[in-house]
Amino acid sequence: MDVKAMSEKNREGKRTARERMLAQREADEAASRRRKKLIVGGSVLAVIAAAVATGVVVQNERSKPETPAAAPAGTVGDKNLVIPAGAANSPAVLTVYEDPRCPACGLFEREFSPTVDQLEDAGKIFTNYHIVSFIDRAVPGKGSKTGANALACAQDAGHFRDFHDVLYRNQPDETSDAFGNKAVLINLAKQVNGLDMPTFESCVNDNKYGGWVSSVQQDFDKSSYKSTPTVLLNGQPIYPKNGTEEITPANLVKWVDAANQGKQLGTPGSNGQTPAPTSTASETNNPSPNAG
Amino acid sequence: MAGPAAQPGDPAPAVPEDSTPAVPAGPASAARRAVPAWTAWLGTAVRLGLAVVWGWAGLAKIADPAEAAQAVRAYEILPEGLVKPVGYALPFLELALALLLVIGLGVRLVAGVSTLLLLTFIAGIASAWARGISIDCGCFGGGGHVDASQTEYLQEILRDTGFLLLAGWLLWRPRTKFSVDGWLAS
Repeated sequence: MDVKAMSEKNREGKRTARERMLAQREADEAASRRRKKLIVGGSVLAVIAAAVATGVVVQNERSKPETPAAAPAGTVGDKNLVIPAGAANSPAVLTVYEDPRCPACGLFEREFSPTVDQLEDAGKIFTNYHIVSFIDRAVPGKGSKTGANALACAQDAGHFRDFHDVLYRNQPDETSDAFGNKAVLINLAKQVNGLDMPTFESCVNDNKYGGWVSSVQQDFDKSSYKSTPTVLLNGQPIYPKNGTEEITPANLVKWVDAANQGKQLGTPGSNGQTPAPTSTASETNNPSPNAG
Repeated sequence: MAGPAAQPGDPAPAVPEDSTPAVPAGPASAARRAVPAWTAWLGTAVRLGLAVVWGWAGLAKIADPAEAAQAVRAYEILPEGLVKPVGYALPFLELALALLLVIGLGVRLVAGVSTLLLLTFIAGIASAWARGISIDCGCFGGGGHVDASQTEYLQEILRDTGFLLLAGWLLWRPRTKFSVDGWLAS
């Protein structure tokens, strides 16, 4: 072995040592990067999993029960979610789903409430109201919920039908949240004889039936009905049409009479409400000045 | 003309002394270095923009659990047993993504989850549209059935596609300024 070969070999040895060292350092760095990546990825997934679990638990805790803890007096149905009007022994059942803020419900009520009230007073129909409150989800405000609670309070006081008719005759534009103002609702109650009482006021102000209102809405959510007003005669949809026939006050009377043919009518009378008007003419909407 | 062809049997060229020896890391780090600095700044804007989207979407769905559940139910895709868990968890998931994006932790992974979530939303909206049901997407609160004349499926899909572009950018270029990721790498 000569000197030249020696130094050549030496240099090679040095190079491989350096390469090994560099490769080792590189491998260490790669491992450290991988470890960091795993820790970061793990933390991200942990945060996400924790958020999902928290959401399910917290929102479940916050959500109002489907079966209300308290319901207004005289409500019917298996969870007491339905407000009845008219005599329970009437042969036909009219089912109405409506929202206090829904403009189409206002149109329906102002056109048909005189006729509906007359049919109730004659013992021909027993009306089942489902007071839903979903407009608040789509339009800013809380008038559906506070309005529905006020209707529940009126039911509790035995004046549902009268207050219900007054509300729809004073319905603000859908975009106005006048019914979200409790003072407006209490003021409107003054138009109903015997309703303007401290118990009604505190019921409205304390949102006493807020849980019940939510239960009624959740029941509607789970139903197959998607819009308001939904109007059924003996379970058959009749709004805006019954089959091919358009609903009108005269047609409604005709359909009810046809359904009741040969059946015993219910107890006549207005069940503590103002007797129905004699005319079937539509009512006008006069949102009160402070309901604008 | 062909360049000097490598002769078969030639030993692999030795790594020049002055170059970075680690072959796999070499091109990658070179590419990383080639990314212009402004992309990191743009990335920060994109990251915060997507955070605002998730934060807004999450907050809008959190107030009323029944409303959030109904928004999910209205799609008529999930069985009733999953409607509430999904409706309840979704706003919290969105807020978690917003938080992670704000601090810039695991940006690529978070962008990946965001992409999956947005693709799911777009698929859900498209499916509702295709089946002819009339709903509001409930993307930023609300949701549930609406009148057929009030559906906005195209706008909703385009909007979500825009958000998808933000997530896609972060998937491609996850390195951003002012991020925990950057702080951990330094």
